[in-house]
Amino acid sequence: MVTNRIHLVLRYVGLSAVLAVMVFPILWMFRVSLMPAGAAVGFGDLFSTGVTLTNFIDLFRQASIGRFLFNSVLVAVVVTVANAFFCFMVAYALARYRGLAGRIMFVTVIVVLMIPAHILIVPLYVLMLKMGMYDTYWALMLPWLVNPIGIFLVKQYLESIPPDMEDAARIDGAGELTILFRIVMPLCKPALAVLAIQVFFTNWNLFLFPYILTSSESLRTLPVALAHFQGHQAIDWQHLMAGSAVAVIPVLIAFGFLQRHIVSGITAGAVKQ
Amino acid sequence: MKRSRLIGLLLLLPWLITFLVFWFFPLVFSLLAGFTDYSLLSRAGMEWIGWDNYRGLLADEDFHSALKNTFIFVIGSVPVTTVLALLMALLVSRRLPGRSLFRAGFFLPSITSMVVIALIFTNLYQRGGYVATLATMIGFVPPEHGFLYSSSTALYSIMAMDIWMSVGYYMLIFLAGLKAIPIELYEAARIQGASSTRQFFSITLPLLRPVALFIVVINSIKSFQVFVEIFVMTKGKFDTASMVYFIYDVGVTTAFQFGYASAAAYVLFLIVAAFAALQFLLLRRRQPIW
Repeated sequence: MVTNRIHLVLRYVGLSAVLAVMVFPILWMFRVSLMPAGAAVGFGDLFSTGVTLTNFIDLFRQASIGRFLFNSVLVAVVVTVANAFFCFMVAYALARYRGLAGRIMFVTVIVVLMIPAHILIVPLYVLMLKMGMYDTYWALMLPWLVNPIGIFLVKQYLESIPPDMEDAARIDGAGELTILFRIVMPLCKPALAVLAIQVFFTNWNLFLFPYILTSSESLRTLPVALAHFQGHQAIDWQHLMAGSAVAVIPVLIAFGFLQRHIVSGITAGAVKQ
Repeated sequence: MKRSRLIGLLLLLPWLITFLVFWFFPLVFSLLAGFTDYSLLSRAGMEWIGWDNYRGLLADEDFHSALKNTFIFVIGSVPVTTVLALLMALLVSRRLPGRSLFRAGFFLPSITSMVVIALIFTNLYQRGGYVATLATMIGFVPPEHGFLYSSSTALYSIMAMDIWMSVGYYMLIFLAGLKAIPIELYEAARIQGASSTRQFFSITLPLLRPVALFIVVINSIKSFQVFVEIFVMTKGKFDTASMVYFIYDVGVTTAFQFGYASAAAYVLFLIVAAFAALQFLLLRRRQPIW
């Protein structure tokens, strides 16, 4: 009994130590974002200086961070909604219409799953320039409207749903689109939720492609804007961390609400028995 | 039947179009561009130069160091991440009050934007920053201007941050793997008097092998493409430029050497494709591979 106690205490000590290491840098960010601008950001200064919201107010007033926030929300929401619809459509076709074409499509999906997106840096840049989409919202959204992982996820889920209900509806004279969006899509909600969360988080944090495919300040998403701030001499750590906090807070709130789905989304497909 | 086929095709259309325009075309384009001297700056138009770009890469010191740095990054961070993720998963796998708080805390860095993390650590690593001060306290003297401003520490500092960031994510995958192990196995082992160490090495570890392998492969594929942290923290200086940084640098910054960058991208592609093929084999096989 005593050794059990000791084990438990040791376990908690270990857990707390790891937790401290994992959480400290993020807590540090929030603390610095609340420090008066110009205060030292060193060892010990975290507790000796006061708390103020002026960094956030400055950012919204001067650095048009509202605009960056808007861009981030717009891009992430549009891409997420598009993915939910398009991945569902493709997955449905692949799951229900079997045949050579379907099999070829599926193999294509798998192959694309494995292509590193980063080798598209140069060709996507050139393509966007040639199509006149460089430095527009199109460049931020178009390449990511459908994603192979999403198709894969929804297809696996659809295959676990028997097609009986669709057949019954068909006999009752329902049109294909009605069946698709009124009957099957609601059934896929759990898979679509997982898909939407993953796509949203990925796109919210996306950096490289938004960075190289746009140049105007008015099109920057939060991560891109932060990277630009950093090169700025006039921006200090307090403002930089306040900007970072603006980028992180929505994610934290979403995570708080969606924790269970996020976890199931990550582990789906990773562990198959 | 005819009609439903048509609908099937219509449903595939969004994927077909985006795939052709934004994936297939760019891939073919850059494969071909890799054999030309295509550049935004040259007015002469592009010329077919065969394997010259690839030969150029063979002789390019910057590319060599990008290749070397990328491999150091992958070989150094993937095993450490895997072991730490497993240890953390074991720590939180038992039923304990407050377990979900620990899990959420461990996972927190992996949902935070890479740019934000990189900015935070740029400060923590600099002279007078927390990490630098702590290191001094335990007797490790950081380089004069901080960890990111010296070739001997910059890449390793970025690797450490990367491990810190992604370990929670892989912990979750390990946890799912642990959950899938039947409890009966442990009960049987306990009845036969096996110690918990013995149980770990005879039951847990062998049954986690497929999961561990999966983690190693996907983490390697991801690590071969390391970019954002290097871009934000060092701009490729102090011997930190990775392959993607190299592609970015020669491709879309000042030089705009599209052909040369495309060739470099295809070298990266081949390396990652090898790992991806491995992943495909592993996913198809249900049995542990070793």
